[in-house]
Amino acid sequence: MDLLGFLVTQCLNAFSQAALLFFLGVGLTLIFGIMRIVNFAHGTFYMLGAFIGFTTGRITGSFWMALIVAPVVAGAIGAAFELGLLRRLYKRDASAFLMVTFGLTLVLEELIRLTWGVQPLEVPVPDLFSGIVFLFDEPFPIYRLFLAGAGVVVAIAIWQFLERTRLGLLIRATSQNAEMVHALGVDVNMVRSAIFGIGCGLAALGGVLAAPLVTASLGMAANAIIDAFVIVIIGGMGSFLGSLIAAVLVAFVQVFGNYYFPDFALAAMYMLMLLVLVIRPGGLLGKEA
Amino acid sequence: MPLLLVLAAALLAAAPLVLPVFALTLLTEALILGLLAMSLDLMVGYTRLVSFGHAAAYGLGAYTAGYILLHFAVPLPFAIIAAAVFAGVLAIGVAWVCTLATGISFSMLTLAFAQLLFAIAFKWTSVTGASDGLAGIPRRPGPLGLTVFETRVGYYELVLFCLAAAYVFCRVLVNAPFGAVLRGIRENEAKMLSLGFNTRLYKVAVVAISFALGGLAGALYSPFAGFANTDLLYWLFSGQVLIMVIVGGQGTLLGPILGAGFFMIVQQVLSQWTESWALFFGLIFIGFVMLAPEGIWGLLTRRRARV
Amino acid sequence: MLKRAGGITRRTVLQSASVVLAAPAAVRGVVAADPIKIGMPCAVTGAAGSVGTQMRRACEFWAKQVNTKGGLLGGRQIQLLFEDTGGNPATCVRKAQEMVERDGVRILTAIVASNEALATVPKLAEWDAIFVSGDNGDGRLTGESLVPNFFRPNVSGPMGTRVVALWLRDSPLKAFYGIGMDYAWGHNSMDVFEQEVKKSGRTFLGAVYSPIGTKDFSTYITKIRQSGADGVYLVLSGDDYNAFLTQAKQYRLGDKMQMLTEIADELVLQATGDASLGLIGSSRYPNSLDNPKSKEFVAAWKAEYGKEPWMFEGDQYQSCMVLQAGIEKAGSVETAKLRAALEGLQIDSIKGPITIRACDHQGEQPGFAVKVEKGPDGKPRPNVIASYPASKVTPACKQMTYTD
Repeated sequence: MDLLGFLVTQCLNAFSQAALLFFLGVGLTLIFGIMRIVNFAHGTFYMLGAFIGFTTGRITGSFWMALIVAPVVAGAIGAAFELGLLRRLYKRDASAFLMVTFGLTLVLEELIRLTWGVQPLEVPVPDLFSGIVFLFDEPFPIYRLFLAGAGVVVAIAIWQFLERTRLGLLIRATSQNAEMVHALGVDVNMVRSAIFGIGCGLAALGGVLAAPLVTASLGMAANAIIDAFVIVIIGGMGSFLGSLIAAVLVAFVQVFGNYYFPDFALAAMYMLMLLVLVIRPGGLLGKEA
Repeated sequence: MPLLLVLAAALLAAAPLVLPVFALTLLTEALILGLLAMSLDLMVGYTRLVSFGHAAAYGLGAYTAGYILLHFAVPLPFAIIAAAVFAGVLAIGVAWVCTLATGISFSMLTLAFAQLLFAIAFKWTSVTGASDGLAGIPRRPGPLGLTVFETRVGYYELVLFCLAAAYVFCRVLVNAPFGAVLRGIRENEAKMLSLGFNTRLYKVAVVAISFALGGLAGALYSPFAGFANTDLLYWLFSGQVLIMVIVGGQGTLLGPILGAGFFMIVQQVLSQWTESWALFFGLIFIGFVMLAPEGIWGLLTRRRARV
Repeated sequence: MLKRAGGITRRTVLQSASVVLAAPAAVRGVVAADPIKIGMPCAVTGAAGSVGTQMRRACEFWAKQVNTKGGLLGGRQIQLLFEDTGGNPATCVRKAQEMVERDGVRILTAIVASNEALATVPKLAEWDAIFVSGDNGDGRLTGESLVPNFFRPNVSGPMGTRVVALWLRDSPLKAFYGIGMDYAWGHNSMDVFEQEVKKSGRTFLGAVYSPIGTKDFSTYITKIRQSGADGVYLVLSGDDYNAFLTQAKQYRLGDKMQMLTEIADELVLQATGDASLGLIGSSRYPNSLDNPKSKEFVAAWKAEYGKEPWMFEGDQYQSCMVLQAGIEKAGSVETAKLRAALEGLQIDSIKGPITIRACDHQGEQPGFAVKVEKGPDGKPRPNVIASYPASKVTPACKQMTYTD
């Protein structure tokens, strides 16, 4: 394989990985932008997505159904959590959210363990994408191309949603100035429930899509939440575009870093995060210093 | 109040006379975690510097004390003090960078540093033992041939003494003008700046003190448990310490000590009782947030006020 | 239950006192049948939970077998004290200490993770307790970290690698590359593999180590493909292992080279399905073994659980058998007597003859090379392709490498 072939395949790898990181990070950053809370349970919703996706796939035999059912169910659970508990805490300081989402993480993870058991579960790649294409005489999984494509589609969809729809407008407005939106007679609470649900649903979508690469397992959550944090921090808390850029940046650093400097694989992501924060304390596109 | 505290300290000091062996072991560990949580409270509760990386302080202390005790014939108390000082000094540099930012960005910078430290501990095999960590850390005798710290009771009293001394130190600190400045920073940093205080210097100082005390806790832990490993540095542990502070009651010093004991002992008891301990553990935290916003300390003092 | 409340508050102390006071009357009637307590600080939640759950089940199965036959040492029942550690060494040490100091446990087993075991073993002398490992593979536990009260009837990491090395001596493969998890086990096993490859006159092209928790293996797979090796050795476990195999299949790595592994167990086969087909590796206990003890075990297991025993279940069960034989030989559960009895103990186990050698407390036992193939039910299963005698598989005393 020549250099060009190497670069092309590695870039495609990086983009497929960036898509997964983006699904994970964008929900968390939207939630933070609106609600100013750090959602500790975000990784758990990602994991929940993978497991619900597994079961939906088993029952219906359709990956597409899983792609719809898992985010909807996880989103509904998230919205219910916001309605039932978070809503009562908005007058309190950030530590209340930290603790309540920490509690939720423990509860959800145990419920997942009780429901699906401890053994990792195989989630097959959908038949349509299980093949390979040859790039520069090397096999490349079609599923990875699909992931990269899904990342682009979802990113555009979220962008259009934020720009074009009324709810999107309210979300953007609320993240700028919640009091004003409230003064205009809009139910800010409704916006918050919606965004929490959407954020959790996006994490679950990421979980469904990641499962054919990593299986559905109980280790997914702890592993994912720190990645999600890093994406959100680098991109700037609350910035949609920032999370997109950060996902691509982190994926490229990981893919090429692991290749050329495998000894730094563990530290690379954190060094990148430190570097960004030292230069721009609020993250790449964050408002807050 | 001070009288009650002296009484509590005296009771704790006398605990080895009545407690069964294992309860004393558990209590020792709870006090060590209490010291760690209290050290974090200086930052979180008094200055609103919410650190997401306080495991770094604990891990630094634990590894440093462990390394010294494994490689040098240094008496236990000296190794512990050296480790605490080392954690504090190193924190000055870290704090200098982290205090470039405020609010959530500060939290994230501390998280980044802690994770970097975790990565270093994982890779620097010759010093940290990588994934295995340091094992078989001895409690070396001395100074002056003193062997009392090698015993369970002696070690417990040492931990209790360190906690009590650290508490008195923190209490004096927060009641001093220094503490008033910290509270000023917590409430309104801009105002403190305009009053002519170099707030960044104060923040660096409080981070360093907090790290030194957190390092002290870690340095007490590794000879107690006999090992130090990367789990002590992991972000999950940082999160747990923060939860201990919140559940205990921020800005009260004593609350976080109780919070740490509560966290550890409830987890211990629940996990004996059921394999699904995490479920109930989580529900307890959710319940606490909803029903006891001021934490354990708030519950205790509220009841007292009512009586 | 009240007695278990941690013993900190005054009320609990009083409650414990009342339990203690009430105890003699209850105990008096059953003095002869004082149970044998065995502590299991075992991770059944967290990343190691899938292995820990197997180990616990094996212990429960064994205890039930023993107890229905009337117990040991003239009617003493086995009492298992289980607690979850979540895979955290600090919790593991605390739980083990609790069992020893509060419940009077002197025998420990079923500690899952190697770093939990490494943190626990230095404490054994102080506790006057014996720890019989059920799965801990780290070579140093019977090497530089060996303590007198530690015993390892199970297969160690280096022994697993050795089996693969013995197999490849007769294989046509010429050049090898490796990928290991970036922690002690990964590095140790890879070192053994490298030496073995060189000794057999083949080429070792290099190895790469992935951090624990790696989710995307595409870069590593690229590196492996580029190496030009015709065999790649995997020292991976848990989620990382599953992720690697799944992605390796997607990149058709198996078409280009033979994948070899230290551990080919049912857990990974179930999680990765067809992605594990063709894998060649060692198994600590393949349940298809053709010996009477194993057949008896498999039949009883099936009757109890309705499925075949898996690898970690078999290995832990063997450790329980060794412990049982040790207790019977010692005629006691006193630590010093049990230790003396375990040293040099020989039994006929489910894997064939096993000897717990006195010098480093490692169980000398045969090794099995397996290949993952489709079973009669269409699902992948490990089939034994070669067996090697204990003398070939077990390293010299306190060693982690092999000289021949």
